[in-house]
Amino acid sequence: MSNDHDHDHDHGHGHKPPAPMVDEISDFEALEIAVRELAIEKGLFTAEDHRRFTEFAEHIGPTPAARMVAKAWLDPEYKKQCLTDAIKASFAVGVDWLNPTGFGTPSDYTDLRVLEDTPTMHHVVVCTLCSCYPRPILGFQPEWYRTPNYRRRLVRWPRQVLAEFGLTLPPEVEVRVEDSNQKCRFIVMPMRPAGTEGWTEDQLTEIVTRDCLIGVALPKPGMTTNIPLPVHKPAKPAHH
Amino acid sequence: MSSTTREEVLRHLTAVVELQPPVQKTGKAPYPTDITHELFRAYTRSPHDVGGEVDVPCEWTEEEHEAWGHRAYVTTECLAWRGVWCAEERRRMQNVDLGTSQYLGLPYYGRWLLSAARILVDGHHVSLTELINKIDEVKKRHEPA
Amino acid sequence: MSQHDRTHHAKIATGKGDPQCFKGTAGPAKFKVGDQVRIKNLPDIFYTRCQVYTRGAVGVVAVVTHESPAPEDEAWGHVDQSEWFYIVRFKQKDLWPEYPANFPNDTLQTEFSERWLESV
Repeated sequence: MSNDHDHDHDHGHGHKPPAPMVDEISDFEALEIAVRELAIEKGLFTAEDHRRFTEFAEHIGPTPAARMVAKAWLDPEYKKQCLTDAIKASFAVGVDWLNPTGFGTPSDYTDLRVLEDTPTMHHVVVCTLCSCYPRPILGFQPEWYRTPNYRRRLVRWPRQVLAEFGLTLPPEVEVRVEDSNQKCRFIVMPMRPAGTEGWTEDQLTEIVTRDCLIGVALPKPGMTTNIPLPVHKPAKPAHH
Repeated sequence: MSSTTREEVLRHLTAVVELQPPVQKTGKAPYPTDITHELFRAYTRSPHDVGGEVDVPCEWTEEEHEAWGHRAYVTTECLAWRGVWCAEERRRMQNVDLGTSQYLGLPYYGRWLLSAARILVDGHHVSLTELINKIDEVKKRHEPA
Repeated sequence: MSQHDRTHHAKIATGKGDPQCFKGTAGPAKFKVGDQVRIKNLPDIFYTRCQVYTRGAVGVVAVVTHESPAPEDEAWGHVDQSEWFYIVRFKQKDLWPEYPANFPNDTLQTEFSERWLESV
């Protein structure tokens, strides 16, 4: 986090010149390198393991979950499977929850549940204890999902939090918060919106955004992106 | 070199006081009778268990992760993949053992990283001496000439 | 600390997944869907995944999910004992005294291992 190179004043016994060619690293970066190198040196995992898992992590995203919902909207039998055996239903959208280890990702487990919205019920998901999230089918969590703020408030003031995301629901709609605190992982299956009659699976997939799958937004024709929010940029981004 | 270290030391001794909760600024351990049941529960709580705590509306933001953060995430998953620990051990070490101050004060992936370092040592895969020396060596590799 | 045999989990879970690898290890489930349950206020020293905000609250079992070691044990690598897990549903007005009265149907559900539940 901190860069200890302060060149604004002369130490008197040897001013350190700026070194633009040298790769300055933060305390976190140094620790990350140290941990990974030690783990590999001690044979805890291999560099190839790290590469393979990195590749897996770089290829996950929300599209498979969106397509699962779109397919369910078009096919009542598939919808039933989504609601009774979502792990099996995931194969149809290209997700094998046992990847990449053969027994699943260590943190995401293999028990996906789909929460079906109805005209009188809307679901929204949080993990108050950490940030549990169905990564293999939905990708990585947005930063706001991980914050203590979201985790403190959604369970107690859900309608206020949803309103901050632009979603207001009438009192006759039950707002059901799912606090995802154990091994089950959840996605919301929102209701198919009006104005999508005759749409293809691809068209429907496009409007089921990540925000809809968490439950902080409802799908709408023409809305193919998440709620626009400020994005904090990293000092040293990953290059994909 | 040494005066920079001394300056860092003196800054550190000030910074740690800033992290100390006001209730503890007496320089003495409290008497047992000062610790009510509420205080005992508050001190021994699991820091990750924040549901229902009062907080105020904030600006929701997205974040693109640092490269090191993503590498740390992959490292923790590889450690679990190869049986060094399981995800629940990681969560305990990363979200609870750290204590409230580090839990709220450190970046998200910073805590993943610290827990990965911790399991190497707690699991007796690496001695603390080895970890110290490796961090020192990595830092020296990246120092300007 | 973690298991001495680092290949153990891969051996039991490859091809099956987790928590599927613990199927059949917990014995009969004590509760079923529809049962009214109260959340026990067991000591939460050192680690818990039973949220304090649920303690003492009464809810209804909504789903019987799976068998798995309880997180309080799994967090130290102990996986030899399993429990059944349950999603329990609460009315928000039963959790929060100030929950607005004009939203009486709002609910919250979360998951518990069996040790945290008692019959009402």
